[in-house]
Amino acid sequence: MLETRALTKSFGAIHVTKGVNLKLEKGERRVILGPNGAGKTTLFNQLVGEITPNSGSIYLDGQDITAMRVADRARLGLSRSYQKNTLFDGLTIRENLGLSAAVALGRGQGLWSDPLQSPEVVETVREVAAQVDLAPYLDASVNAVSYGIRRQLEVGIALATRPKVILMDEPTSGVGPEMSKGFHRLLKALPRDLTVLIIEHDMDLAFDVADTITVLNYGEVVFDGLPEAARSSQLLKDIYLGAWEDA
Amino acid sequence: MFRHTPLRLTTLGLMAAGSLIYAIIAGFFGLEILAEIAILAILVIALDLVAGFGGMVSLCHGALMGVGAYAFTVAANEAGMTALPAMVLAIALSAAIAFAIGAVCARSIGIYFIMATLAFGQMGYSFVFQSSLFGGDDGLSGAPRLDLSALGIDLTDSRTFAFYAIALVALAYLVAALTLRSGLGRSLVGLHHNEKRLRALGLTVWRAKATAFAISGAIAGLAGCLAAQHTQYISPGLMSWTVSGEALVVVILGGLGTLVGPILGAILFVVLKHEISSITPYWHAIVGLILIAVVMSRANGVFGFIEARIAARTRTRKPTLKEADADA
Repeated sequence: MLETRALTKSFGAIHVTKGVNLKLEKGERRVILGPNGAGKTTLFNQLVGEITPNSGSIYLDGQDITAMRVADRARLGLSRSYQKNTLFDGLTIRENLGLSAAVALGRGQGLWSDPLQSPEVVETVREVAAQVDLAPYLDASVNAVSYGIRRQLEVGIALATRPKVILMDEPTSGVGPEMSKGFHRLLKALPRDLTVLIIEHDMDLAFDVADTITVLNYGEVVFDGLPEAARSSQLLKDIYLGAWEDA
Repeated sequence: MFRHTPLRLTTLGLMAAGSLIYAIIAGFFGLEILAEIAILAILVIALDLVAGFGGMVSLCHGALMGVGAYAFTVAANEAGMTALPAMVLAIALSAAIAFAIGAVCARSIGIYFIMATLAFGQMGYSFVFQSSLFGGDDGLSGAPRLDLSALGIDLTDSRTFAFYAIALVALAYLVAALTLRSGLGRSLVGLHHNEKRLRALGLTVWRAKATAFAISGAIAGLAGCLAAQHTQYISPGLMSWTVSGEALVVVILGGLGTLVGPILGAILFVVLKHEISSITPYWHAIVGLILIAVVMSRANGVFGFIEARIAARTRTRKPTLKEADADA
């Protein structure tokens, strides 16, 4: 479903991703682990087209999308949520989800009707709001809700596009344990045909939802395998304990 | 997102009723002021559509109005077209040029967008100023008024022309309001709040911005056609950046991003201009002081101030009602 081949990106002398090879099957849930600065978000930015790689290629559903623009990749079914909330502040939660659904349905530039009133968009908003536990807050302004609800909306906007592949960049970043459990439930309840790639630091969540785990360190894939193997990996422990540099 | 609140609808209704009543009772000078307000109101509706809702603050809307005025006059006088097809052509040309400007400027934001639109506007102004086809700095005269004699309407009559001008304001408002309620309008507001996210959701940002700019340009072109028909004389001054600047002042004075506020702003601006200029030639300074007061008040223009006051009163009233219910 989503594949990278030797994906490499440098900023000057700093290699942010080095020859990254990933292959996600349809419906796979893969968690990317790695310490800060490992190149996880930069990898996401390359996958969605916000950063152009120096070399290597990206395939979505067998199609080479390496040179494709951000919006074109999104229209093919690639969606993402951001580590830092990237919402439509000032609009309501309903409008945020509705706008996302309308654009994904190709109604973002129509002139003859209000897409937010269309049955498809209304239905999508209702379903996604239920998925991310936002139904009680639909008419609240984004500016007026808590950080945790904004995190839920961040994921909701990505889901409202009805993607084939969703990339989630630290969805539980900054939320409390209760809300983290909510995300846990949300991830477990996602449709099985949806391919999910998650950057996550919450190990409990990562090991519970992941079919496979990839570990990045200094831009390189240093582990790629099943959660059980990752859990017992000395290499992974060393990386998270900071021993990798000494190894 | 754009919505018609009861206050906005009431304000629209009051402005429409007031202008219609004034068009019935006013003398010649009053009718001229009314037409002047209508031209400015259409221009600021066009500007508020892109600046207030899309965050695209333009300093070329005066030039786009000028494109409409010149295209209408040249099509009617030189190409021998009757007024209605000349108007359609002028509006379409304004929209096409605005689309091109929007497409080029779409990649820039903030001050860079403003400067890019200023450059386009000044290019248009300089071109018209130098061109003999457009009469150079002498301008062009003899623009015809729309011929509605088949409907028994005589637009050479000042009073009838004032009603016609009010009808065009209503048309411009309707186009802007429908645009804002469309998919494009929803995306335009989204772009103002978060362009990056909309792109990541699959929107072709430059096309959305350019299309919105084209619709705004068409409305500005309509203002130009009305201006040409009103005075039946046009000059390059119509395309000067100061016209765009004045329109921006009116939008801010009325209430940016409210669509209703800028129309109120146009009424206030023209009335203040005429009233204060009859007292002192330094009326610009006094209007400037009023604008500074409005900006410093941190309200969103006069209409924004009214909206905020009414919202605050509603908020303070609600608990009292709840308490009353509880007591009951």
